[in-house]
Amino acid sequence: METSREDVGIVIRSAFLAKGTKQRFSLFVLIILSIILLFAETIETKPLNYLRSFIKDTIYRGSLVVSIPFKSFDNIAENVSTHMSLYENYSKLKIENYELKNNISKSDFLELENTQLRKLIEEQVSSSSNFVSARVMLDKQSPYLNSLIINIGSNKNIKNSMAVLDGKNFIGRIVDVNFFSSRVLLVSDLNSKISVITEPSAHHAILSGHGENALSLEYLPENHNIVDGDKVYTSGKEGIFSPGIPVGVVEIEKDIATVLLFSDLSQITFVNVDLGG
Amino acid sequence: MAYTYRQIKFKFFEILPLLLLFFISLNGNSIISLSYFSVSIHYILVYFWVLRQPQALGYGFIFLSGIISDVVFGLPLGINALSLLVIAAVAAYVRVVTVRITLINDWISFIPALLIANFVYFLSLYFSNYSVEYLLLFKNSVSTLICYPILWGVFSLLLNFNRS
Repeated sequence: METSREDVGIVIRSAFLAKGTKQRFSLFVLIILSIILLFAETIETKPLNYLRSFIKDTIYRGSLVVSIPFKSFDNIAENVSTHMSLYENYSKLKIENYELKNNISKSDFLELENTQLRKLIEEQVSSSSNFVSARVMLDKQSPYLNSLIINIGSNKNIKNSMAVLDGKNFIGRIVDVNFFSSRVLLVSDLNSKISVITEPSAHHAILSGHGENALSLEYLPENHNIVDGDKVYTSGKEGIFSPGIPVGVVEIEKDIATVLLFSDLSQITFVNVDLGG
Repeated sequence: MAYTYRQIKFKFFEILPLLLLFFISLNGNSIISLSYFSVSIHYILVYFWVLRQPQALGYGFIFLSGIISDVVFGLPLGINALSLLVIAAVAAYVRVVTVRITLINDWISFIPALLIANFVYFLSLYFSNYSVEYLLLFKNSVSTLICYPILWGVFSLLLNFNRS
């Protein structure tokens, strides 16, 4: 019994505490260091934040360099496939262009009418949106978290919780700001909860991500009258995002309201960050 | 000249596991995500090399590669590092207590390594207030375990090539 206990002790010492051949650190020390790092993540102090920003910026640049060959390969494949479907796309765009031209005059009229009506009720007409453009640096999708890295950070006055748009459509919010880069938590992520309003049914709800492109509307009133095709906009209720940013369109499936985003999250190259008023 | 070429080739294959470790961390391929399943090649790589040729992957490098993965995937610093070190710890323990190494032995001992590492991963995410789809985590563990023999074969070939 005594010998067996000694054996276990020797095994544990040799496996975890000893440095071993060509090892500079023991496993035990590194495990403790990892746990300390995890706890340090909860501490918000300026020097620690600077250190974290520096580490993250450096790793993002390294990751960008490493992914260059893969990106080039993807671009070549995409170019080939675009060329293959050139004629088909041209026909589709021609029809779309014709429909859009017809809609423009109708939309202009509605916009004018809307402005006049807003003036009539003395509501502030123009919202002072202040956008800054950025390029997507890294788009490494983990099966657990959906996020992107953009190439601007505190150097362009980016702050946490700012809305990120693809053109004019909402796609996510800033969750981590470094000196020269920021992380965008996509609206499809499991951790994303956005306050929205549906139009024309005018119901407030929380838009929840599930790690996929289809999102769900939660906390809707029981007797809601949302139908297929209703549009979803940010409500601005929480006071973080500007109200009225387009998000997606409602699709009712088996009495469950899901939202299909206006933007394809896998095809984003440039984004706009709403710096607010 | 030929001798130098052989030396370079030998050195390259010697550091190949290390290069692979950093490449998959930086490129965000530590978890290969396919339509219905995902495989943690990071876990398999660390487990295999710590078990079979510990001098090929230093624990410090494993830690660093975990930190890189955390940054690339946007997780709190230390989560992947801790999980990888747990995998390395189990592999180091198995290496000390095992005399004969076979695929079946490796595969069976990989089960507790995977369970403990994913439990640590889950706990770290839970205490960092990150929500993840636990079904995905479970599917990932199962598919990683299933894919172990395939990568075991590939890495064994590389190991034999190094030794010859």
